[in-house]
Amino acid sequence: MTQSPAAGQPAAASLERLKAQVLEAGLCVACGACVGLCPYVIFHDGQVAAPDVCGLEDGRCIDVCPQAPVPDPSQKRAGLLQALGRPQALPLGPLREVWWARALCPDQQGRVQYGGVVSTLVALALQEGLIGEAVLTQAGPEGAPEGVRARTRQEVLAAAGSIYAAGGALSALNQALAEASDHALGLVGLPCQALAAASLAAHPRHAQGARLKLVIGLFCTLNLSARGLRGVLQAAGVRGPLTRSDFPPPPAGVLEVTTAQGTTAIPLEEVRPVVLKGCALCPDLSAELADISVGAAEGRPGWNTILVRSEQGQRLLDLARAQGLLELTEMPGESRQHLSTAAANKRARAAQAWKERADG
Amino acid sequence: MADLTKLKAGELALLQGNEAIARGALEAGLSLAAAYPGNPSSEILESLADSAASAGIYVEWSANEKVALESAAAASFTGLRAMASMKQNGVNVAQDFICNLTISGTQGGIVLITADDPSGISSTNEEDARFIARLADLPLLEPSTPAECLAMVKFAFDLSEAIGNLVVLRSLSRLSHTRAGVVPGPLPTGRPQPFWDPKQIWNTVPVVPRHQAMKDKLAKAGQIMAQSGFNAYSGPESPDLLVIASGSSALYAAEAAGLLGVDRRVGLLKLGCTWPLDQALLRKHLADSERVLFAEEVDPFIETEVKALYAQQAAELGIKQFFGKASGHLPQIGELTPGRLAGAMAAILGLTWQPAEPQYLQAARETISRLVPFREFGFCPGCPHRASYWAIKQALSLDGRQGVVSGDIGCYTLGVHSTGFRRVNSVHCMGSGLGISSGLGKLKSLGFQQPVVGVVGDSTFFHAALPGLVNARWNQADYLLIVLDNSATAMTGFQPHPGTGQTASGQPGTAVDVEQVCRALGIDCQVVDPYDLAAAQQAVYQAVQGEPGLKVLIFRRLCALVQGRQGGHPYRMRVDQSLCRGDECGCHRFCSRAFRCPGLNFDQAAGRAVIDEVVCVGCGVCAQICPAGAIRAEAKEAAA
Repeated sequence: MTQSPAAGQPAAASLERLKAQVLEAGLCVACGACVGLCPYVIFHDGQVAAPDVCGLEDGRCIDVCPQAPVPDPSQKRAGLLQALGRPQALPLGPLREVWWARALCPDQQGRVQYGGVVSTLVALALQEGLIGEAVLTQAGPEGAPEGVRARTRQEVLAAAGSIYAAGGALSALNQALAEASDHALGLVGLPCQALAAASLAAHPRHAQGARLKLVIGLFCTLNLSARGLRGVLQAAGVRGPLTRSDFPPPPAGVLEVTTAQGTTAIPLEEVRPVVLKGCALCPDLSAELADISVGAAEGRPGWNTILVRSEQGQRLLDLARAQGLLELTEMPGESRQHLSTAAANKRARAAQAWKERADG
Repeated sequence: MADLTKLKAGELALLQGNEAIARGALEAGLSLAAAYPGNPSSEILESLADSAASAGIYVEWSANEKVALESAAAASFTGLRAMASMKQNGVNVAQDFICNLTISGTQGGIVLITADDPSGISSTNEEDARFIARLADLPLLEPSTPAECLAMVKFAFDLSEAIGNLVVLRSLSRLSHTRAGVVPGPLPTGRPQPFWDPKQIWNTVPVVPRHQAMKDKLAKAGQIMAQSGFNAYSGPESPDLLVIASGSSALYAAEAAGLLGVDRRVGLLKLGCTWPLDQALLRKHLADSERVLFAEEVDPFIETEVKALYAQQAAELGIKQFFGKASGHLPQIGELTPGRLAGAMAAILGLTWQPAEPQYLQAARETISRLVPFREFGFCPGCPHRASYWAIKQALSLDGRQGVVSGDIGCYTLGVHSTGFRRVNSVHCMGSGLGISSGLGKLKSLGFQQPVVGVVGDSTFFHAALPGLVNARWNQADYLLIVLDNSATAMTGFQPHPGTGQTASGQPGTAVDVEQVCRALGIDCQVVDPYDLAAAQQAVYQAVQGEPGLKVLIFRRLCALVQGRQGGHPYRMRVDQSLCRGDECGCHRFCSRAFRCPGLNFDQAAGRAVIDEVVCVGCGVCAQICPAGAIRAEAKEAAA
């Protein structure tokens, strides 16, 4: 994945390329993949920064960055899928099964985003020993999301719900991988994080990467800068920690945020300026590199859409079904068609964005 | 420094130029000495402070040079002899007062010592402070040796009283810090009773007639100086080349003539009294010489004035050739050396001059590069400034808006170098960092979007930073001031300052608290220990990210050298090389590459980091930056 230097040119150092081409270009989506690999990259309050010069020419940081320039991003994804033994399938990625689902666990009520499927699956994976630890995203002390590591159902539930801001959770994965342990790790992440995690797991110089055994992907159309979101909330007069945030489906045209004081709808025009610029490069609506992807069920509040992609994902869903933890129902063909169209549209927009980036 | 009153009159002593100045002042009956520390001048006041009790004089480190000279003037107004000493930059600080004092005049002998620093060896500039003599019509003396320092200071006090005005004596780094044989004279007994006659008004109006009086004083000074014997000629009656020199350059010129073997062809007019110039003396020597070379540091002060003098009398003196800085025979910048002067003399006299064989120079360069490791400016091991700049760098990088740091004068000026992660974006003079911050902090309305951080040391804070801070508060400038409070005037040698609560003579004073000053101004103020990297980084980040406005963080941690003298640091540091990641991806020598403390090395053989136990002081900070937990801080008692 490392770009070969132009003939006669010395190879630029990895971190310096990452800085120039991603961080300073404003294209970082704060997935956290480069954070915690080494001390040169730091993360705080939703921001990734690299204050010092590393100089290493074959560093891993740029290899695992989902936003690093590559000649053909689609080929990169195909290569990673191949390494996982899965076919590339457009536009929704590899699919074994597709469901609408919701959790049947009473203690999740009111905490989960939609149907509570993600929390149920993570907790189950921990309980059944598929993984020893899960890397999740949770609001930090200043409200900005950050990566956390969970080993218990309680810790999983504490991280339930979407935040809609970039939180660098993969730094927690790197932290877990750097420790001298051998338990399997799971990750709940956005499409960019699923891509970065696959790069990390497949990296020839990251022996520990293979400990990542389960990736639960989240549907995503865009993400917000944590600091930007804080500014938007302040401007809208929203005070106190958020208990829930959501972009209701069109034609709502708002970001809905709930605090102890109640729910506020913030018009999308006010939110758009703090959408991460780098999200435009993402072709992946549904985290195609995950083992199992979960998103909202269009037109059916309180339910999730589930896309099962890998053997591991299938195993987890089958376990959940066998233990009666989920209620599953067939996803209507029309909804599936909508999802495919949305996914295809995102791919097309991203292809155009990559082309514009390459053209400078 | 030592008590200079213990020197025996008439017995040869080895004295530093600065000590000779101090001894000369004591012999002249000095009653009050005040100064602000600054290389190369600091030892003057330090040695007077150590002599203060025996001599029964008052000695103070003042908050700045202007205050120092004002204190000295106060003593002069009461009839006492007084002195203020400073480096060249300090003359600028005191300049406004000087230019008014010279009109009001003085009573007791009062001398201003400026110790200039050609090549800026320990300065932010290499300014030639002799300009103040011409600007303010003050007599100027330039000694060349420690013995002359002593003699000229004594003369300066008499001259000051004779004309009723301030007298300037100018030293140089090489002179101030050179040691040479000096024969001290006797110390006086008794001193006048200070008294200010209430009918006496020291002021500057009416300006024009007083300006005339000031000119008259200078003319009178010229007459007295002409009789002083401090201007001397040596050489043939009609030399092939006349060298007019002052200060250290006079010694270099004599040495250069010797190196070239032209002692008999070159005449040396050594000027100790350089303002006003002795016109009669110069006319005589110009008449005897066709070619004239000027040797002085740094600016062509004498050169320009002598050429102006010649221009008025060219018809009588005939055609002369002048060499020096204007002709390009000597550099306009930097210190002079005997070699440079020999080169100039050889060029003028048509001789060849080779300072050394080219092969020798080449071999010397190669040997040096082989034997002497590359060293850059660096903070001491354990220096709190390294930790402070680390936190600032991390926080501003995370902030991501390309924040700028306005620096100031002190050890932390080194923030412009890699030891401070090149995190300082501007440095000028004492206190100017705050003024620049204040200005930047008002540019938001004009479209400036970068966060602004000012850094200032505790001593500089009291010296010249307060007006800038008041201005920022008044005009609501938006910036973060970080006071790097190491509780010392560390760069100039740990002199006390208003915050330390100690006076120059070691007596308890009243400590002035930075925090209380800021709070009194109504500024939000927080004290942080920079050794706690995460807390310091978070404090800076929150301040720049928070609501706009003027904020102050006090990074308080004792100077590592002072801590060393007060029992040292608590830890013995150790690298667990089994955990160290070395230069692999995942670290790539982060501690020695990025943090750059001289106590941290890279063990080439092992490919792992290692603590240099001789250099490391055990502050424990680096343990916080190791990603692998390989750097261990163990309590010294437990490790012993």
